[in-house]
Amino acid sequence: MNLVQMLFYVMAFITLASAIFVAVSKTLVRSIFMFFITLFAFAGLYVLALADFVAITQIVIYVGGILVLILFAFMLSGRETLDALQKQKNQFISANKVAALFLAAIFFIVLLNMVLKVDADHLPWITNAIKTNNVITPTSITTDNIGINLMTRYLLPFEAISILLMMALVGAAHLSRKEQTL
Amino acid sequence: MSFYLTYFAIGIGLFAFSAVFALVGVYAERKVSAFIQDRLGPTETGKFGMLQTLADGLKLIQKELIVPTAADKLLFIMAPAIIFIAVYMGFAAMPWGPGLVPTSLNLGLYYVFAIISIETLGILMAGWGSNNKYSILGSMRSVAQIISYEIPAGFAIISVVMIAQSLNMQTIATQQGILSTEGVKFFGFWDVSKIGGIFAWNIFRAPHLLIAFVIYFIASLAESNRAPFDIPEAESELVAGFHTEYTGMRFAFVFFSEYSMMFLVSMISVVLFLGAWNTPLPNIGAVHLADWTTGNGWGIIWILIKSLALVGIQMWIRWTLPRLRVDQLMSLCWKVLTPLAFACMLISGIWRVFLM
Repeated sequence: MNLVQMLFYVMAFITLASAIFVAVSKTLVRSIFMFFITLFAFAGLYVLALADFVAITQIVIYVGGILVLILFAFMLSGRETLDALQKQKNQFISANKVAALFLAAIFFIVLLNMVLKVDADHLPWITNAIKTNNVITPTSITTDNIGINLMTRYLLPFEAISILLMMALVGAAHLSRKEQTL
Repeated sequence: MSFYLTYFAIGIGLFAFSAVFALVGVYAERKVSAFIQDRLGPTETGKFGMLQTLADGLKLIQKELIVPTAADKLLFIMAPAIIFIAVYMGFAAMPWGPGLVPTSLNLGLYYVFAIISIETLGILMAGWGSNNKYSILGSMRSVAQIISYEIPAGFAIISVVMIAQSLNMQTIATQQGILSTEGVKFFGFWDVSKIGGIFAWNIFRAPHLLIAFVIYFIASLAESNRAPFDIPEAESELVAGFHTEYTGMRFAFVFFSEYSMMFLVSMISVVLFLGAWNTPLPNIGAVHLADWTTGNGWGIIWILIKSLALVGIQMWIRWTLPRLRVDQLMSLCWKVLTPLAFACMLISGIWRVFLM
């Protein structure tokens, strides 16, 4: 087992272990902070997959943005609501969890089916890419590639997303504005 | 295996540097504040009080590490480490000389920007973990401020990246002097590729970057929680903000990270705007000052002098200006700095396409 494989297993273990902790832990704040470790380990996995730009974007957006916002929402809500949340009956199997369990089971079957059926080492597009030498090496610059693709091949989805984001921003600005009597 | 030893040596060296800088920085801060307020500052310990911070450090090491009974112990203990590590990891991508950079990442600038934002998480952790209303108020103020000021800072950075066409800090640094391979123009008309010096710095390659530099400098003051943006630890309202409950070495780590952060943000502004490790002296005719003063040793000296000068300005501002109110802080960020930074970004695009 070489160093990269070892690192992959270490990262994967940290991701899974911390994710389980997030789901199981009784104190909400600790699970939020544990989620931070999950996201970081994810970023490590992305780096191992030579997607360094995605890894850093993950840290900027999820750790620097979304996680901090979750914490904000958490700290601004009163202690009573949080206590009520934590005093929920914590049985593993109960009637109001049937739907969630069902969904999770179906998703698990789909994933398992995919893992068993796909022959990841001999996918046609991968063998083709190796044959034509169209691969990313650890020293190549990935941002140029992403930028050029966003501005040519994926321009329409890119613009659609930017319009969606702008709509969200305008909506947020409208919601947070003070009501003015005209 | 010997390259692993080099990695460890560099890591320890950077740590030692930030520790020594914190010691010197605290002493300098006290002397500067004393000078500005017409006092003497520390005078007793050592010649001119130079051993004062060392004595403070010894005292902090001896102190008991108190954990409040009602605190969330794990979060309380981990927070100072996370705050410090977030700042310390930022030094990994900073260039010190023409061939001297710990890791020459091609995403270096983006990485530093990302890693700095982790500090906010450590601050929230400290505030929540302490289980103290002053701490939590301080940490929430601090995070609101840092997140808001990341936007003008980010756009000021983007306007440099659009001129430099690279996120690699070493590439950005190399472009601003005589070692540049693509040719440098002073204000877009005078070719200074062979002259170098102060004329090749980014703020003179494109004049609007001077505004971007000021925007980044103001935003970086806010990001390192320095006055006039120090409402997170406003002594008159919040005791000491998010680090109210910390004692001993844990308090020292919070302090370390504040001073390391000051140096880190100054170094980023030097790399982006003020020519990084390039010399300010130009080649004048037969006197090749720029050629003589470019190199690894000179690089370290120049970048240290420039960064320390910016740190000095930060201190000067801290002891001169009064603290801003929260609403003033936010209206400065959203109504002045952010539109200006957008304008800088726009001009950068036009400049790059038509004048370079």
